[in-house]
Amino acid sequence: MRYLLLKKENFNDFISALAQIEKVVAPVAAGYKNFSFREVKSGKEISVKYIPTILPPKKYFMPQKEKLIEFNKAESLFDAVLEYEKMIIFGVHTCDLAGIQCLDMVFSDKPKDANYLGRKNKLIIIGLECNDYCDEYASCKVVDNHIPNGGYDLFFTELNDSFIVHVNTGLGEEIVEKTRLLVPAEQKHLNELEDVRARKREIFKDEVNVKHAELAGLFDKAFDSKVWDDLDKRCVACGNCTNVCPTCYCFDILDNINLDFNTGDRTRGWDSCQTEPFAKVAGGENFRKTRGARQRHRYFRKFKYPVERYSRYFCTGCGRCTRTCMAKISLKETINALAAEQKK
Amino acid sequence: MKPKVAFFDFTCCEGCQLQMANFGETLLEILKLVDVVTFREVMSERSEDYDIAIIEGSITTEHDVERIKKIREKAKVVIAYGSCATIGGINGMKNKFPLDEIKEYVYKDGAKYFPTILTRPVHQVVKVDYFINCCPVYPPEIVKVLKAALQGIPYEAPDYAVCVECKLNENVCMYDKGITCLGPVTKAGCNSWCINNGNICYGCRGMVSNPAKTGQMDILEKYKIPLDWVVNKVDMYNKPRELEEEKPKK
Ligand code: SF4
Ligand code: SF4
Ligand code: SF4
Ligand code: SF4
Ligand code: SF4
Repeated sequence: MRYLLLKKENFNDFISALAQIEKVVAPVAAGYKNFSFREVKSGKEISVKYIPTILPPKKYFMPQKEKLIEFNKAESLFDAVLEYEKMIIFGVHTCDLAGIQCLDMVFSDKPKDANYLGRKNKLIIIGLECNDYCDEYASCKVVDNHIPNGGYDLFFTELNDSFIVHVNTGLGEEIVEKTRLLVPAEQKHLNELEDVRARKREIFKDEVNVKHAELAGLFDKAFDSKVWDDLDKRCVACGNCTNVCPTCYCFDILDNINLDFNTGDRTRGWDSCQTEPFAKVAGGENFRKTRGARQRHRYFRKFKYPVERYSRYFCTGCGRCTRTCMAKISLKETINALAAEQKK
Repeated sequence: MKPKVAFFDFTCCEGCQLQMANFGETLLEILKLVDVVTFREVMSERSEDYDIAIIEGSITTEHDVERIKKIREKAKVVIAYGSCATIGGINGMKNKFPLDEIKEYVYKDGAKYFPTILTRPVHQVVKVDYFINCCPVYPPEIVKVLKAALQGIPYEAPDYAVCVECKLNENVCMYDKGITCLGPVTKAGCNSWCINNGNICYGCRGMVSNPAKTGQMDILEKYKIPLDWVVNKVDMYNKPRELEEEKPKK
């Protein structure tokens, strides 16, 4: 669609204007180099330069815990529930936009997930470009997520004294209309944007010793790799890597009965394939007993299975898993180790 | 007829009973479902006739052993209540020292009047049907366990690390702050109660069934944390885990 401009001096007013329309959430500093998407009322609270938040914006699309059904046994009532909140998510990096696109694919696939899709409808997404790497853990270039690829209503790129804003949807147009602070971009701003992108092509290089197209093939041959034995010894199964991943969507469903032993609810919550009980079934059998097998599963769920089903890598390159790993297991190192092993 | 519930305290601070007494409205709801017949901290009546025995405290004397065995014989359901009862808890620190030495240290000249044995959680002495964990007990788990007990269905606390719940709560990790936390080896189920409130996890729920030894050592090395320092920390609540092998099968 079209490009508009927001002067930096108007940034705070823009966020305040957004907050008049709907609840706004944006990256906020949480201390010790951690950031978190939280509600903001003004632009001053936002960290425009931030590294990926502890949890990805996934938490708004698929909350950590969500009620699906309320029941009343005596009256045989089972009511489907959709708890949602209208919201504007400001400042979503390109890696996390890709994460949301992955979730969209999964939850639109049959059987469609009414709760996810219903909630997604209520969320407005404003993206924010990374002009430079966030840190050494990111690997967004090799999976092609360092530049915007859709999945937003508006998209902000920081220029010298302004933000250039790509308007991508009708909802984006509505925001433009209601906030009244965006002005048409001139050619010189489009040139500046081109400069930013040219500079990025210099900075962002494949972060691993494998090319984009070869990643899938690497994992095709990786099932019996020794690399998993190494991870088996190091991983402590804390589940952090999966709980922070923008494309992990496993959930567990629990029925809770109230103390009246009649009414209650059915709730789902995030689950993690890295924990001991995840693949345990009735009778006590555990299909992925070892931490190594569980790690392999995690990697295959990013670089192999989704490629077969959705023709897309489900790793966005955000680097969260490496950043958060208790045992300092690194996604980049794992890929390089697999590549080195296969070269032998 | 409502099931009769009796509370018993062994070696403990009685803080977990206090947790129940402070339960507020939920307690009133619970009282609609059960008759409390013995609860020293809040009532003076006592009864020897009960269905559910809720045990607070660890077993630390021969007298305790006899007493808990009698309770087990009478009760249909035994619930271990709080860290002292479920894992030995703080009382377990005693097990780090020779018994005579620690007895003398505590009681001085009076030591001979206080015969003592190694600290044990209840299930190492008699069969336990349900466990309500934490120090003090985590109120939402009290409700979950009572619901399970009243329905006669099993309750299983999650067998994964506190880190799982901590991440879902989006806390800044203590290790990022340069502080050692026992979350990675401790069983979840408390919704990372302490970390949510700015404290570390002390391991009061007991350890996960399969803690990764080599991986944990790596973490210590990476963060330059001395091993005995962490062992001390783990032992603060979990020392009696070493006696686990000897527990009765029934
Ligand atoms: S696997 Fe790691 S780097 Fe890839 S999307 Fe998940 S958290 Fe991000
Ligand atoms: S991983 Fe890439 S896209 Fe994501 S925050 Fe870092 S630099 Fe930006
Ligand atoms: S974060 Fe690291 S230690 Fe924890 S489960 Fe993932 S790989 Fe294992
Ligand atoms: S603060 Fe403790 S419980 Fe939370 S993630 Fe870090 S180590 Fe785990
Ligand atoms: S966070 Fe740790 S110490 Fe605190 S209640 Fe939970 S298990 Fe116990």
